[in-house]
Amino acid sequence: MTRSPKKKIAREIASFPSIPQAAAKILAMLDNPNTSAEEIGAVLRYDAGLTANILKLTNSSYFGLPSKVASVRQALVLLGWKKLAHLIMTACVSAVMDKAVPGYGLPMGELWRHSIAVSVVAEGLAKELEMTGVDEIFTAALLHDVGKLVLGAFIKAETDSVDATADRGISFEKVEREVFGTDHAEIGARILQNWSFPEQIISAVRWHHEPDGAPVSNPLIDIVHVANVLCLMIGMGVGREGLQYHLSDGAVQRIGLKEGQLEWVAANAVSWVEEILLSFATQFE
Amino acid sequence: MKQIVAVGDMKVGTNGDILVTHALGSCLGLIIYDPEAKVGGMLHAMLPLSKINPQKAEANPYMFVDKGVPLLFKAVYGLGGQKQRMVVKAAGCGSPLGKNAMFKIGERNYTVLKKLLWKNSIILEAEDIGGTASRTVSLDLSTGQTLVKIREESKVL
Repeated sequence: MTRSPKKKIAREIASFPSIPQAAAKILAMLDNPNTSAEEIGAVLRYDAGLTANILKLTNSSYFGLPSKVASVRQALVLLGWKKLAHLIMTACVSAVMDKAVPGYGLPMGELWRHSIAVSVVAEGLAKELEMTGVDEIFTAALLHDVGKLVLGAFIKAETDSVDATADRGISFEKVEREVFGTDHAEIGARILQNWSFPEQIISAVRWHHEPDGAPVSNPLIDIVHVANVLCLMIGMGVGREGLQYHLSDGAVQRIGLKEGQLEWVAANAVSWVEEILLSFATQFE
Repeated sequence: MKQIVAVGDMKVGTNGDILVTHALGSCLGLIIYDPEAKVGGMLHAMLPLSKINPQKAEANPYMFVDKGVPLLFKAVYGLGGQKQRMVVKAAGCGSPLGKNAMFKIGERNYTVLKKLLWKNSIILEAEDIGGTASRTVSLDLSTGQTLVKIREESKVL
C-alpha cells in the first residue's frame, strides 16, 4: 500500500463537490411543516432545470398522483411538504451521485440506481413496519454510498491487495479499513458533515454496514442497513464485491422485520425503481 | 441476437442468439438448452414462492421460482425443445454474510428449484451456486456454452 492513504483520502474528501445550494436550503427547511410554496419557490427560482426535474419526478407513476402536476405549488398541495422535500433532494443529489464508480465495478448509472433502490426499499420497509418519525430515511438512503465516489479510485489503484484481502471472506467495509485505514461509510459520513447535514442522516450513512457499532441505535440506521443488503441481493447496483457484507441480526430484530414483509417489498422494488428512473430518463424530451 | 434477461424476467432464443443476465446475487439464474434443436432459455427469478405477492405473480410470474421455472420449460418446448434432451444449469442463489435465516433468500430459491426439478425428474447438469459473488451468466445458443463471470473472470459452466 502506498504511504498514508488516509491523508490522500482526506484530501479527496476536502475537495469533494459541495452540496447543491438548493439542497442545503431545503434541508434546513425540512423540519418546518408549515413551509410555504413561496419559500420553496424562492429556493428554486434560480434553477429552472431543477424545477423541471422536480415536476417530472412528481409526475412519475411511483407517486401515483391522479393528475399531471404543473407547478411546485400544486406538488406541495398533493404530496405534502415532507414528500416534496425528498423529491427536491433527489433531483439535487442526482448530479452528485449519477456517476460511474471504478473500483467497485459500477458502470455509469448503477450507483444512482442503487441509491434510488435503497431509498424506495427503505421507505417501503418503514411503511410495512408502520414506523413513524423516520422522515429523513429517503435522503439518508439516497446518500448512504456517497463515500464510494471517493474510495472507488483508491480501490481501483489497489485492486490486487483489495482482492487478496477480500478473498478471506470478511465483510467488505473491513477489507476497506484493512487496506486503506478507512471505509466508504466513514468517508460518506465525513462528506455529509462537510455539507452540514443533520446528525441522524450522518449517522445512518456512517453505520449503514455496522448498525450494531453505532453509539446510539436508531431505526433510521437499521432500515438503511437492511434495505441496502436487500438491494444488493436482488442485484440493484451490486458491485464487484457482490454480497460480501455482513447482515446484522440485531438490526432485523430491532425493527421487528418479518420474512413476508421483506419479500413483499423485494417483489415491488424493481417496479418502484423503474418508475422513478423513467421520470429522469424523460427529462430531455 | 444478444438479449438481456432483466431481474424477474425470462428470455428464450434459437441458434445464433446469445442470452445474458447480469448481477445475480441471491436471485436464481436458470439456463436450459436443447443441443439438438439448438433452442434454449434463461430465467432470472428473485424470490422462491409466488404466494408472498399473488398480485405481482400474476403481472410478472418470472419474478418467482415456483412460477417462472415451469414457464421457462414451456417456452422452450414451444420452440421445439424436448424434455429428454434438455441440459439444465443453475447459477446465483448467493447470500450476504451472517446467519440471519430471513435473508437466506438465495438458499430458499435453490431449494424450491431442486424440489421442482426432482418432482419432474429433471437432472441439474451443472451449477455455480451460493457464496457472496455477483454473477453474470451468458448462454450461446449456437453451441450451448454457458459462461459464468465473477469479477473479471469467466468460467465455463
